[in-house]
Amino acid sequence: MPPEEAVTFPSLENEDEEEQPYSFAVEYTGPPVPYDLPRAVPINVEKIPVATVVSKVPLSNTELHIPVVPPILAPDRNKLSKELLLQPTVSPTSVIAFEERVSEDTNNCLLSGELSSYESGELAELINNNDNSSRRLGACSVSNEHSSMLDYCDSFGKSRESSSRARVSNDDDLNQPDWGSNESVLSLDYPSSRVSSRKTGDCNNESNADIKRPQVVTFRDIESDDGLDEEFGQDEVQPQVARVKREPQTKGKKGSCYRCFKGNRFTEKEVCIVCDAKYCSNCVLGAMGSMPEGRKCVTCIGFPIDEAKRGSLGKCSRMLKRLFIDLEVRQIMKAEKLCEANQLPPEYICVNGQPLCHEELAILQSCPIPPKKLKPGNYWYDKVSGLWGKEGQKPSMIISPHLNVGGSIRPDASSGNTQIFINGREITKVELRMLQLAGVQVAGNPHFWVNEDGSYQEEGQKNMKGYIWGKAGMKLVCAVLSLPVPSKSSNPGGELLNSMSGRSVPDYLEQRILQKILLVGSTGSGSSTIFKQAKILYKDVPFSEDERENIKLTIQSNVYGYLGILLEGRERFEEESLAEMRKRACSKDTDPEVGSIDDGDGKTIYSIGLRLKEFSDWLLKTMVSGHLETIFLAATREYAPLIEELWKDAAIQATYNRRSELEMLPSVASYYLERAVEILKMDYEPSDLDILYAEGVTSSNGLACVDFSFPQSLCDENIGTADQHDSLLRYQLIRVQARGLGENCKWLEMFEDIGMVIFCVALSDYDQFSADGTNKMLLSRKFFESIVTHPTFDQMDFLLILNKFDQFEEKVEQVPLTRCEWFDDFHPLISRHRTNTNSNSINNNPTHGQLAFHYIAVKFKRLYSSLTGRKLYVSLLKGLEPKSVDAALKFAREILKWDEERANFSLSEHSFYSTEASSFSH
Amino acid sequence: MSVPELKERHAAATETVNNLRERLRQRRNELLDTDVAGYARSQGRSPVTFGPTDLVCCRILQGHTGKVYSLDWTPERNRIVSASQDGRLIVWNALTSQKTHAIKLPCAWVMTCAFSPTGQSVACGGLDSMCSIFNLNSLTDRDGNLPVSKTLSGHKGYVSCCQYVPNEDIHIITSSGDQTCVLWDITTGLRTSIFGGEFQSGHTADVLSVSINASDSRTFVSGSCDATARLWDTRAASRAVRTFHGHEGDVNTVKFFPDGNRFGTGSDDGTCRLFDIRTGHQLQVYHQQHGDNEVPHVTSIAFSISGRLLFAGYSNGNCYVWDTLLAKVVLNLGSPQNSHEGRISCLGLSADGSALCTGSWDTNLKIWAFGGNRRVI
Repeated sequence: MPPEEAVTFPSLENEDEEEQPYSFAVEYTGPPVPYDLPRAVPINVEKIPVATVVSKVPLSNTELHIPVVPPILAPDRNKLSKELLLQPTVSPTSVIAFEERVSEDTNNCLLSGELSSYESGELAELINNNDNSSRRLGACSVSNEHSSMLDYCDSFGKSRESSSRARVSNDDDLNQPDWGSNESVLSLDYPSSRVSSRKTGDCNNESNADIKRPQVVTFRDIESDDGLDEEFGQDEVQPQVARVKREPQTKGKKGSCYRCFKGNRFTEKEVCIVCDAKYCSNCVLGAMGSMPEGRKCVTCIGFPIDEAKRGSLGKCSRMLKRLFIDLEVRQIMKAEKLCEANQLPPEYICVNGQPLCHEELAILQSCPIPPKKLKPGNYWYDKVSGLWGKEGQKPSMIISPHLNVGGSIRPDASSGNTQIFINGREITKVELRMLQLAGVQVAGNPHFWVNEDGSYQEEGQKNMKGYIWGKAGMKLVCAVLSLPVPSKSSNPGGELLNSMSGRSVPDYLEQRILQKILLVGSTGSGSSTIFKQAKILYKDVPFSEDERENIKLTIQSNVYGYLGILLEGRERFEEESLAEMRKRACSKDTDPEVGSIDDGDGKTIYSIGLRLKEFSDWLLKTMVSGHLETIFLAATREYAPLIEELWKDAAIQATYNRRSELEMLPSVASYYLERAVEILKMDYEPSDLDILYAEGVTSSNGLACVDFSFPQSLCDENIGTADQHDSLLRYQLIRVQARGLGENCKWLEMFEDIGMVIFCVALSDYDQFSADGTNKMLLSRKFFESIVTHPTFDQMDFLLILNKFDQFEEKVEQVPLTRCEWFDDFHPLISRHRTNTNSNSINNNPTHGQLAFHYIAVKFKRLYSSLTGRKLYVSLLKGLEPKSVDAALKFAREILKWDEERANFSLSEHSFYSTEASSFSH
Repeated sequence: MSVPELKERHAAATETVNNLRERLRQRRNELLDTDVAGYARSQGRSPVTFGPTDLVCCRILQGHTGKVYSLDWTPERNRIVSASQDGRLIVWNALTSQKTHAIKLPCAWVMTCAFSPTGQSVACGGLDSMCSIFNLNSLTDRDGNLPVSKTLSGHKGYVSCCQYVPNEDIHIITSSGDQTCVLWDITTGLRTSIFGGEFQSGHTADVLSVSINASDSRTFVSGSCDATARLWDTRAASRAVRTFHGHEGDVNTVKFFPDGNRFGTGSDDGTCRLFDIRTGHQLQVYHQQHGDNEVPHVTSIAFSISGRLLFAGYSNGNCYVWDTLLAKVVLNLGSPQNSHEGRISCLGLSADGSALCTGSWDTNLKIWAFGGNRRVI
């Protein structure tokens, strides 16, 4: 085929012309050439060496098929011998190291970089039309096919139809019928950046033998290494760690967005902190996804960041602020700063010639005076004085001394040549100058020992010679010489410790320190009282305005309820006494001796006036209909004055005096009823005690939780400094109302992460019966069993709180404990001489109630042990006494502490009759 | 009448009810001469076939730090709200896997969430016994939290499930651990009607799930720990229209069939069942034989747009795709290479049926789409 057009191609042979601008595909207008032009070299797919297997993608996107770029080999190698040979590209994540074949031709690397940055589509088109191009062009077309293929992979949305030769393995994604419409945008979420666009073409001018060697791929190309060196400064010696540097694709022209190839270098762009890819505001969301590790391309997630960008971590750009809502920006920035992949890799930091491990880095970063802006590199560290500097340089600052990081300091650490040593390090001239200005005697090349406070002594001598930084004006001198001075907080001894404990806990540690305690108990076990006590005990503001308002409403509606019960009782008593009177009236007929004083009007002591009667009827009616809660607000307004009248009415008072006969009335009712008038006023403000007595925590009585930490009281201080750390520990008490949570406890699965369970049982329940006639204690036992054996709480610590001991003590004297069939073998030995024998007990004279408590505790411990084979902790409690609750919760804290230290203890102690419970009972 | 006498009567009545129920079951079995699978086989139908690339995971939504408990799609198909034990609701754009909202909840123990039909607000409920509504358009407060725009309180137990009444943004149905379901009016925050409860014939244990009939939004079904599912009419709250027995464990999930005449259930007994609401018959049991004794619970189900496929998530991390006609598992999305690492707690199909989203205790959500040239069925 005669050539219609010819293409001039820049002379590649001319290696000196590095900066020459290349022009491609200029139309040939000269006369027809007499010689034949070679055709484009066809590709034989079979003979292509297999591309390396792409290493496992950290983001397990299964739908992400990585397009593998086939390396290109011409069948006729001689033809190509003087041409550009393309190096096949591999994934930058590949760990296979390829040797670099021709390293001298760096300019060709540059060239191919340039090549690929051209609009390859155009070029390919040109070349496709042009079969009879020159030999060079042939090679060129190969390279362009190659790059167009790459291009295709990157943005198949754009050039999908243009190239038929490209093999794109993720066709599946494209052809989805319904997602397809969005897919063209979508698929760019996963740009195949694993295919590096950087082609290190090697111009192969040497020999055929050289070419016949298999194609090689380099992974760490020259440019990227250069870049790294620049980033870290030339004076820094790189740690001997093979660094994985991810390279972005550079497809479009310089300064354009890496994804849409639009814009120039002045358009605002966001930079990937791993691979340096830049995206315009339209593409950022697509390319970076939901940013679980901050500003990284989706494909870079999980990779360590570019250390040069460490400084910008967590610093939000304006673009992000525009794109996201505030909260999200904060979340992303937090993730960027704190996520594991973005942390400084410890092995990049060498201290005194030793790369650090994780613990050492943590020590270094968490010490009171950490090195500022720690970057990868080699450092020296004088452990005695705390001097810190880059290897081969003068000290840059003074950090906390005595940190156990890195190796021991070398004499030549700072490359000093003064023959004067400080703590075994030969100091630099600048330091010597400083010493001279500080008035330190430096004649005779002395060796000094310098402590962290600046006190120094000569080697082999006992006496302190003085303080280096003690002299006035030394700060100024050091500032002039740009040498560090010890910061104020590095004072020795106790002050240091204080500054440590005073530091605020970092965000990411916070969650670990929160210990969760689950508080459960069946209805009426007093778990809500414990919860409220904890709030009052440990919170500065126990109840917020809203909560108080809610509790106020709860209390008021409860009091209406109690009143209703009273009124109901009144009606009953009235009827009873009326019946009594009628009976007497009947008997009067037969027995005329009884005077007819009070018959006729049918009034008894329990009768009330008409107005009150109306109110009473209304209240009872609403109570029956179950709408009391919804209307009592209006009722408070309307009926508040009536309440006073009602309460003072003799009939109500008479009924109230017989309140023991009203089973419905809870024992706590009298506390409120005595003050009913006050409570039901509009401006009633519940006191803490009122709140404590109120039933329930929240209006809907759902889950409630409170975060608290135990305040440092006087008695805590003498425990010692080791426990000071505990004041940082925060606890979360989660209280769940058992009712309405179902018997099979599906919800328990949500509490996997709690530290322990406090199970609450009311001791006074032993003679109480539920609506269907079962003993409440047995119900509690059943609930206890189901919770203890729940798979979620396997190996969980349980603390049983036996609540309402005050009521129990009174009750057990009158009602025998054997009322509950579970306790039928309770036969306390109450004999006179017991008091004498039992002298080692804490309480010398155990009351009946205490005996009964211990008996019940043992019952539960045995039950627990038979179910789980472990030991149950038991505590006695009087819910209304703050001290008692405080003691119980501190006991819970101790259990959590023991749990951590359990490994140190032998598990041999197995006494059911342990007395740790009783030690907390008072 | 004395208490023992009453107890005796009660026992006798219970006995009678149980006898009648047993007779009813027998009678049903007599009448029910075939099930769906048997009939389909006799008609020569063959199961749907699935290639390895027909349903592929195309997005992973990462961002939660706790177990994901619930998810819901918007009707306009590309947004998802998910609720997790880290105490957050996250609203995702399913196409870009972008988070559009992250809502910190006042109570971290959330069990359910729902998108309103217009996509303007989301609802959630949990152990706090309340259903909280968040308007996505409202401004965040100083701490960057979205304020609760409405709290629906009145349940006496945890809120286990909530669903907006289709085409209305002001009504929502919740199910609760207090054995009731409630229809709420969101504008007033009051209960419109209560289904079940103390004095009514309702569930006798925690209600775990509700599903509203898409073709007739006045009826809905509920599944409960009492191993039954009940059909309700919102106009007559006093009693259930029908009670569906059959399961031998807690009914964890119910979902209406796309045609509105059937519904599916998933239970702790490891089976999914298909019931017909007109006849009350159980049409089909979907049960996979397991060698060991440990039967994985069905945690969540969803039907494909045609109803031909039933997606079921199991507590062991499996997610089976059942052919509803032939009762055969045609695909397991939990196969090792792309499975979730924890139990699949929730799943949902987008409104157009083109994508499935699964949420798991491994804190991730995954979106699966029909790949290749496969038609959406």
